[in-house]
Amino acid sequence: MTSGAYTQLLDLACGVLLLCAVVVLWQRELAVLVRVLAVQGAALAAIAAVLGVHERRWGLLVVAAGVGVLRAGVLPYLLRRALGARTGGAADPPPPAAYRSPYREDVSEARETRPVVNVAASLVTAALLTLLAYAAARPLVALHPTPATRALPVGLAVVLVGFFVLVARRRAIAQVVGFLTLDNGITATAFLAASGVPPIVELGVSFDVLLAVLVLHVLTTRMRAAFGGTDLDDLRELSDR
Amino acid sequence: MNAIGPALAVAAGLGGAGSLAGALAPARVRPLAAGVCTAGLGAAGVVAGAAALGGSRYGVWLPGLLPLAGVRLAVDALSGLFLAVAGAVTVAAAVYGIGYASPGGTHDQPPPGAGPDGASPGGHDMAAASPSGGGHDDGVGGSFGVGHASPGGGGRGDAVGGSFRGHPSRGGGGRRDAGAGSFGVGDASPGGGRGDGAGGSFGGHPSPGGGGHDDGAGGSFGVRDASPGGGGRRDGAGGTYGTAYPGGRPAQGIRSRGAQAVLPLFALALLLVPAAASVSTFLLLWELMALTSLLLVLAEHRERPSVGQAGLWYAVMTQLGFVLLLAGLGLFAARAGGESFADLRAGAAGMSPAVRGTVFVATAAAFTSKAGLAPLHAWLPRAHPEAPSHVSALMSAAMVNLGVYGVLRVGFDLLGGGPAWWWLLLTAAGGLSAVYGILQAAMASDLKRLLAYSTSENMGLVVVGAGAAGLFRAAGDEPLAALALAAALLHVVNHSAFKALLFCAAGSVLRATGLRDLDRLGGLRARMPATAGLFAVGALGAVALPPGNGFVSEWLLLQALVHGFAVPGAATAVVLPLAVAVIALSAGLAAAVFVKALGVGFFARPRSEPAARAAESPPAMLAGMGLLAAGCAVLALAPGLLGGPLARAAAAAGPAGGTSLAGAGLSVRLHHTSASLYPLWVALALVAGVAAAAGLARLPARRGRRRDARLWDCGGGAPTPRMAYTATSFAEPLQRVFDDVLAPEQDVHVTPVRESAYLVRRVRFQRLVPDRIEHRLYLPVLTALSRTAARARHLATGSVHLYLAYGLFGLVTVLAVLVVGW
Repeated sequence: MTSGAYTQLLDLACGVLLLCAVVVLWQRELAVLVRVLAVQGAALAAIAAVLGVHERRWGLLVVAAGVGVLRAGVLPYLLRRALGARTGGAADPPPPAAYRSPYREDVSEARETRPVVNVAASLVTAALLTLLAYAAARPLVALHPTPATRALPVGLAVVLVGFFVLVARRRAIAQVVGFLTLDNGITATAFLAASGVPPIVELGVSFDVLLAVLVLHVLTTRMRAAFGGTDLDDLRELSDR
Repeated sequence: MNAIGPALAVAAGLGGAGSLAGALAPARVRPLAAGVCTAGLGAAGVVAGAAALGGSRYGVWLPGLLPLAGVRLAVDALSGLFLAVAGAVTVAAAVYGIGYASPGGTHDQPPPGAGPDGASPGGHDMAAASPSGGGHDDGVGGSFGVGHASPGGGGRGDAVGGSFRGHPSRGGGGRRDAGAGSFGVGDASPGGGRGDGAGGSFGGHPSPGGGGHDDGAGGSFGVRDASPGGGGRRDGAGGTYGTAYPGGRPAQGIRSRGAQAVLPLFALALLLVPAAASVSTFLLLWELMALTSLLLVLAEHRERPSVGQAGLWYAVMTQLGFVLLLAGLGLFAARAGGESFADLRAGAAGMSPAVRGTVFVATAAAFTSKAGLAPLHAWLPRAHPEAPSHVSALMSAAMVNLGVYGVLRVGFDLLGGGPAWWWLLLTAAGGLSAVYGILQAAMASDLKRLLAYSTSENMGLVVVGAGAAGLFRAAGDEPLAALALAAALLHVVNHSAFKALLFCAAGSVLRATGLRDLDRLGGLRARMPATAGLFAVGALGAVALPPGNGFVSEWLLLQALVHGFAVPGAATAVVLPLAVAVIALSAGLAAAVFVKALGVGFFARPRSEPAARAAESPPAMLAGMGLLAAGCAVLALAPGLLGGPLARAAAAAGPAGGTSLAGAGLSVRLHHTSASLYPLWVALALVAGVAAAAGLARLPARRGRRRDARLWDCGGGAPTPRMAYTATSFAEPLQRVFDDVLAPEQDVHVTPVRESAYLVRRVRFQRLVPDRIEHRLYLPVLTALSRTAARARHLATGSVHLYLAYGLFGLVTVLAVLVVGW
């Protein structure tokens, strides 16, 4: 792979990564969010693969394959199942016939209807956070400027945007998506800053994420069973008053 | 052959073994196993300390024992002195502890006072409610309440109560701890039967609604009227005695697995702290000492709620001190370019005066807080009384010493002395706490609290000596500095001996009666003659009068200060006379304090039933106290034995006085000033004088004068124990004299009957002597803190999004600061 192609591919993958994070903020449909997350996972795997091919470290390709399977396949599948459990789930008591109109069809659960911060403000904030990430990463890039480290601010920006998704979205599924975006950002930062990580480390991190998503999945189901919805603002018991 | 290394190794091994034995041994042998190991550990410490005082040195570096820095130990004569003192106190306290934790004593019997619990209709209900309703009274004082019940059934209940102590709250009622002289007269008008509780003490019911909380030796006593005709409960004559130990088993906590496992570790930490020779080792051992002592203070937390409070104070103050110490020593190590004490010594000279001053002030504040010096003493009068008594002895006689050790080690040795203002600061703190401590001790009527305040006073005297030594050294008079330092060190040794003995004796009293309140003790000389005698030996040491051991060191200290008048400088010309005055005043007050403790506590007639039923302690406890008493006697009669070792210890700290202090067994001679003292001859002369006086008094008696006549009692009937002096009444004149300093708080509440303003229903008199420094210095900080905390609660609304937003905001702020600040 030529140096120019390597840089182009790396920048493309990083751009997709960041774009996906922004789209997560933009879109309200939860099913779309899950699809975007899968694309983001694929972009992350692509980063690892491009790095591996460029530096001829075949271990990184294994890591890339693992990351791709987990983040573009398994995790979105789990989330889709969590979404699907809502519509035909046995845990959900079927609503009375009178309410089964197409307009009442559990709209609030399929969409992020009332985000804490509205979409326009979210996009502006994401832009500001990206700027901040670029500003904050300058000294890091200056240490050793290569194409990979020049893309480092993208990882940082994805971390910040993911965190912001956690703050700005109400639904439990949106929260999980935000958490995974944040984690994708951390992983991307690790790839870009350290030119890839050893498979054993990535294996541990991946299991961690998988476990977290499974636990969140269970929690989401329980929340729905208890409250009939997954609005996090219903959980206000733990306050110090 | 250097015995220090093997002795320290043996001590460490025994510490581990004792801890394991305490944790694993069955309950029956647990105190014995742990106690024997602890005693052996102490003996090893004495051996190591004695070898170091004899002139040998020891140093070792164990790089594998601790990551990064390794453990560095070094023992010189200064460490040796503190090692030997801690070891000796540990031996005695361990032997005492075996007896203390053994079953037996009054407290394994059912709680006293199963007397007739009055079923008098229309009687009244005595409540220990804090008069300030929900306020927090703290201090020493007495209160007086008179209550009248409206007419009810027949008969008459009359109770004159002595000091009074309420049950700890059974459900959020009023609670009092550690009461002082309070006096209550309850007069139930026609009630059922007649009970006369003269000399009795009342156990009050917790007041149903009064959320008052009295802490400390404060007393308040209220007699509440029951509604006429209501089934009020009468409590008084022969009624329930509320004691400080409602569960009735003070030794239960110390017998537990945890406490027995921690005790050997605490003793080991006490030995090893002076042997540490690098910042990391020192801090680690210091923290181990603080944590283990905290756990031991909390040993009896199930028995009294005040223990938890004391533990909280102790934990907060000791950890704040640790933070200061960490900052100070960390700065020192960073600037000196190494963390071993040898590096610090080498690097100290090259540091700027500002850094040296900062290091000294930070570490001195931390160390003087550990030593219980005045502005930072608040934990001491709380934690020492609440700890099990042999732990109190260890803390008061060995742990607080290490505060002094720290000041000497850092100020004199590592920093190599400093400008006069350091030492003026130190002398001022010492003088303040000497006078303030002994004044509070004079007001205290809780026996162990009294001893704790006296610890604060004695440490103040020691620090005055250390400060004077620093002043002399800054002025260039090395021999005089060495003399002052030797006097301070001798006082450390003496104080350890008599204070350990006094705390152990107080523990025996506590174990036998369940009482710490001097107002309710009395008459113990007849019931516990050995304990009374041992307490008298300790008290003699504490009053700084000739036959006692405290006299020698205070005499030496005064000699050093008086001869320091010749040292040029305005500061010394002002400070030294003041210091002499402070020492004289504190010595005089100490005499009053210990006359009170001994006279009111042990002589006269018992003023409460538990005191009247006291029994002598088991042999192990007496043996432990006997060891300490023997130590006191040796120190009192032959202080010259310590002359050489003290000079070596002072030289190890810095001032190269050489042979300014010499002792040849029975005498103490000061080469520098040509003064000398022969304590043995002083004691013999005193004994001869007392014998002669007693003989002269008997001479006229030979003529056969009639001696058995009854005194005219002013028509008032036979004198009762209630007429004897209590601790509160004994201290009352002193309280008047020092009215401006102590600022006692006095309240009189008169409640008239509803029908007429002229008929008094209730008069309540209350007097408290609060710890003034605490009120002025600590209370504002605490209220500000709790106010801030209450405001901060609004941040936690329960919204997950808000919490996440805090996180994001924090992260973004950090990044922004990095961007701007780069």
